[in-house]
Amino acid sequence: MELDNVTRPAGQAQPLSDEDKRFLRELVETNRIEHHGRLSYMDIMFDLEHRYGNSLPGPVLGEVARLVGTSPAQLNGFVTFYTMLSTTPRGKHVIRVCTSGPCHVSGAPAILSSLRQLLGVDIGETTPDGMFALEASSCLGICGVSPTLMIDDDAYGNLTPEDLPRILNAKRAGGTQ
Amino acid sequence: MKLFSTQIIVPVDSNSVLQGALEIRHVLEETIAKFNLGSQVSVVETGSLGIYDRGVVLAVFPDDVYYGNVIPSDVEEIVTEHLLKGRVVSRLAIDRSLSFKRLVEKESGKSQQKIVLRNAGLIDPENIDEYIARDGYGALAKALAMQPGEVIQILTDSKLQGRGGAGFPTGLKWAMVAKEQSEEKYIVCNADEGEPGTFKDRLILEGDPHSIVEAMTIAGYATGAHVGIAYVRGEYFMSIARLKKAIKDAQAYGLLGDDILGTGFKFDIEVYRGGGAYVCGEEFALLESIENRRGEPRNKPPFPPQQGLFSKPTVVNNVETFANVPSILLNGSDWFKSFGTPSSAGTKVFSLSGDIVNRGIVEVPFGVTLRELIYDFGGGVKGGKHIGFIQTGGSAGTVLNDKYLDIPLDFASMKAYNVSIGSGVVLVAASDVPLLPFLAEVAHFFWHESCGKCTPCREGTLQVKAIMDALVNRTADPASLQRLGVLLNLLSDTSFCGLGQAAPLAFESALRNFQSEFDTALAESHVPETCQEET
Ligand SMILES: Cc1cc2nc3c(=O)[nH]c(=O)nc-3n(C[C@H](O)[C@H](O)[C@H](O)COP(=O)(O)O)c2cc1C
Ligand code: SF4
Ligand code: FES
Ligand code: FES
Repeated sequence: MELDNVTRPAGQAQPLSDEDKRFLRELVETNRIEHHGRLSYMDIMFDLEHRYGNSLPGPVLGEVARLVGTSPAQLNGFVTFYTMLSTTPRGKHVIRVCTSGPCHVSGAPAILSSLRQLLGVDIGETTPDGMFALEASSCLGICGVSPTLMIDDDAYGNLTPEDLPRILNAKRAGGTQ
Repeated sequence: MKLFSTQIIVPVDSNSVLQGALEIRHVLEETIAKFNLGSQVSVVETGSLGIYDRGVVLAVFPDDVYYGNVIPSDVEEIVTEHLLKGRVVSRLAIDRSLSFKRLVEKESGKSQQKIVLRNAGLIDPENIDEYIARDGYGALAKALAMQPGEVIQILTDSKLQGRGGAGFPTGLKWAMVAKEQSEEKYIVCNADEGEPGTFKDRLILEGDPHSIVEAMTIAGYATGAHVGIAYVRGEYFMSIARLKKAIKDAQAYGLLGDDILGTGFKFDIEVYRGGGAYVCGEEFALLESIENRRGEPRNKPPFPPQQGLFSKPTVVNNVETFANVPSILLNGSDWFKSFGTPSSAGTKVFSLSGDIVNRGIVEVPFGVTLRELIYDFGGGVKGGKHIGFIQTGGSAGTVLNDKYLDIPLDFASMKAYNVSIGSGVVLVAASDVPLLPFLAEVAHFFWHESCGKCTPCREGTLQVKAIMDALVNRTADPASLQRLGVLLNLLSDTSFCGLGQAAPLAFESALRNFQSEFDTALAESHVPETCQEET
């Protein structure tokens, strides 16, 4: 078992526990858009990412596909289309640096290269300690304070490279949340 | 409502929150309690005050004093000096002219005209009573007393055109849905705001969510729809929360639900979230996404008013378009047409970004010029520099030089002068910002956001990106500009949806207005030896 954990990418081929299955069933049952009794896959996926460490493991998607009555391939097609969702494991905190026009003009390239250096990873990678995943993003809609980035649900603006160590340290110290 | 002699306004839009507004509010409330001022002073949360780059701003009314860059340790001084002793803390006071309205009245005699933003920054967006106190839901009551056709007629007469980019007449769109025979119809609010440089829809939703609830309900009555759906981009957490609260409160007041205002009209609104895909702003891609599928555009025709969500007649309107509707119904179409120009009625909300002194949003009548937007409202270019280039309309917009500063912006001049207004982006780059790396980023954006459904866009955006990168790295081969021209034509002529069709705009306009930048890059290019055989 130990070996399994090491050789398999986290969460990829782990069989689902009974608790997982119960959680997924409840999620699908309760996660209905209020008036129509319809399901929003997106809402479900966001909830799943919260539970499974910012990614959507294959077996989980398989079970959810069964529960909502679609095929795993269909659901996979849905998930891989949207950049906020990920099927590959990501760090505990997802850093999304805006690189679009307005942020580009205000210094986004310097922010991105500082982060690469500080974290020692490239875009699309997670730090070896599993703490941060670094991503480049299109406009985050807060261009009034460019250059910008988001870490999980928190937005940061008017950034300079000097601000970054403080922001990262605060997130690191934030512990488990 | 309790009456207080003094109000302190704390903007809690997300820009302010990320500068620490919530902590300031907390300290403020504690300090007011500590000095026993609770019965005289109220702390009111609002959306953005339109003042940027001044950290957390507090406004004290009726004194009309604004404080900027406020940090928690400043709060006690403001309370003891200003609130207790009536002395302005001059160390922190900022010139109110920073708020756009004053600035413009002072410098050019023009002022903002707030229709869409009439409540943003003035009312507590989470308090339905404050919205109602400012004539909120009055337009809905008025509409429900009319025939649906009369409501649409007012809208048609007002000449309101869509603010999401395409400018389609809103009254006509509603009329198309109204005349369809179907039990099931939908009203969809497009709040996917993804055009780089646009943040107005977020501020409307954060600052005045009830105006969208009211307008969607009016649209439902006018067209015979009973379900509204707001599709809000996934990152807009505060917009989503405020909108959901507004919907709940409206339900509690009988302004949504099975029997609205006792008229028997039934309407409700649901909120869906986006997943971070620019193409989902395209109306059919957005509907696909609501239907739990990949956000890929559909063939047109049929258009959404004929076969939209679940193949039923559907109105899709932008947030800003909806936000105009209540005022039009209350004040009439002639009132609305008194703003703007003959081709373009009403106002436009512009998002100012980049190297501009006062970044933020500004609402002005159509016909405004870039010079007014950048210098009068925006306070000019940072550091007193010259303008290098201006991008209007977003990444899917035009790249302009300073020769365009005095063209009045409206739907007619857009066509006449090849200037995009699009979603209202005005991105200014100072003269020391190099153009080609910027364009390479725009190319990267389209390549990244192409949904991949059609070949011209999927492959074309990749090729445009490669050429732009080569120009930046000075490795472009001599034929690359010619190839770029062919590619751009191919993209605009053969792409399946608006993404691929509009992607060339930035490059075509840059080639027109900054030809020498391209020529220089080409002249300085050396094709790497390893590649030479292939070219
Ligand atoms: C690639 C692409 C992205 C778009 N993004 C948006 C958007 O973010 N918000 C929006 O309102 N309209 C967007 N549109 C325009 C919509 O397709 C549609 O025209 C608009 O929502 C109609 O509303 P309106 O008539 O009120 O403007 C986009 C179009 C394209 C082709
Ligand atoms: S033009 Fe681009 S975004 Fe539109 S359908 Fe084709 S590939 Fe998708
Ligand atoms: S361009 Fe970066 S937030 Fe909009
Ligand atoms: S590297 Fe481009 S063809 Fe050789």
